[in-house]
Amino acid sequence: MKSCIRVVVLTFAGLAMCGALAAGLLVYTGWYDVSATRPHTKLVHQLLDIGLARSVAVRAEQIQEPDLSGEARIKNGFELFRTHCVQCHGAPGAAPAPYALGLNPAPASLVASARERPATEIFWIIREGIKMTGMPAWKYRLTDTQMWDVVAFMRILPTLSAVDYRQWDENSTRRLPRSASSAPAPASTSRIGDVTAGRQAVEQYLCATCHVIPDVAGASHHVGPALAGIAAQPFIAGVLPNNPENMRLWLMAPTTIKPGTAMPDLGISDQDARDIAAFLTTLSDSP
Amino acid sequence: MREPGRTPLFLLAILGLSGLVACSDAKPPLTQDASAARLLTQADPDRGRRLIAEKGCIACHTVPQVRAPVSTVGPPLNDMRRRAYLSGLLPNTPVNLVQWLLDPPAVNPRTAMPNTGLSVAQAEDIAAFLISLP
Repeated sequence: MKSCIRVVVLTFAGLAMCGALAAGLLVYTGWYDVSATRPHTKLVHQLLDIGLARSVAVRAEQIQEPDLSGEARIKNGFELFRTHCVQCHGAPGAAPAPYALGLNPAPASLVASARERPATEIFWIIREGIKMTGMPAWKYRLTDTQMWDVVAFMRILPTLSAVDYRQWDENSTRRLPRSASSAPAPASTSRIGDVTAGRQAVEQYLCATCHVIPDVAGASHHVGPALAGIAAQPFIAGVLPNNPENMRLWLMAPTTIKPGTAMPDLGISDQDARDIAAFLTTLSDSP
Repeated sequence: MREPGRTPLFLLAILGLSGLVACSDAKPPLTQDASAARLLTQADPDRGRRLIAEKGCIACHTVPQVRAPVSTVGPPLNDMRRRAYLSGLLPNTPVNLVQWLLDPPAVNPRTAMPNTGLSVAQAEDIAAFLISLP
């Protein structure tokens, strides 16, 4: 019996050492790609997502939600949203700034957040921020009242169309310096659309924050239509016959083709639009 | 020396964890549509389901619970409750859904979806059915 316990203990100790050694090697050899252009695998993404959801839920448990109605509160929330949030998160019909498009993890579409997360959790995320995501803590820059104002505005955000949002923006009393618009990167020589390049480009224009896309990690939000089966649909956005050339045109300038659409002009370059269009033709299976 | 207790325990832990994750949705999301409840009590989803077959919606759309050949002319209507926008233009509220069903070209002049000549009551029934889909 004694020797049996010894064997078990030694085996576990051996395994633990091997594990530590392997982990050390993985870290030291630089095996894990930390670049923002290589997304997490679906499994890792899902695990991190669950961890994040639980961590936020537990910590926001005790927060009391104040009254979020009242025009002044919503209006003030909008001004703060416009000054501090829209640059990375975008809004209906308004694209995030170019630097935000390249963030990994992608800044969430706040229309999706408002429709999915409770008020207290959104407040907590604004106040405390999220490690290693680019979401800063606002605790030391804004008061609790101001942060609740932002939540109050976010509550009505999903009820605004792109036209409504632009009106709010134009009516705003505060003048902001226009952030660099999402002008397409200078075009290199163009080639025909490439599926693999398109699959990669999808990650770089935050498509996954609004569309459900098969096999793209984190693409689970129903802000825009789900893209499974898009290849089999005869129309793009209900207005253009669906072919790769029209898809390229649509991707490059949705608001020109369909004024008022919630899909913003993301500054997608000609080549990237070609590649993404090629990738979309592979999504022929309906859900 | 196999210990039969291990595997079930491990499975239980996973089950427990997924249970916890499910529980995290206990609080309602920030944005909810209060008008949905009103529409659902006033309109008749069952009549809406029948109207979808009678009015020819199924010629273009694939609709759950309505038997018809699969058609992909318009988008499938399986996740209307989860969608944030209608036709990419209107926020997806029951009021807007009724408005859209009544006269799509009035909302989007270039849309491929025609005005099917629904009455307000019919549009409300269809909207109630679409919203009632899981």
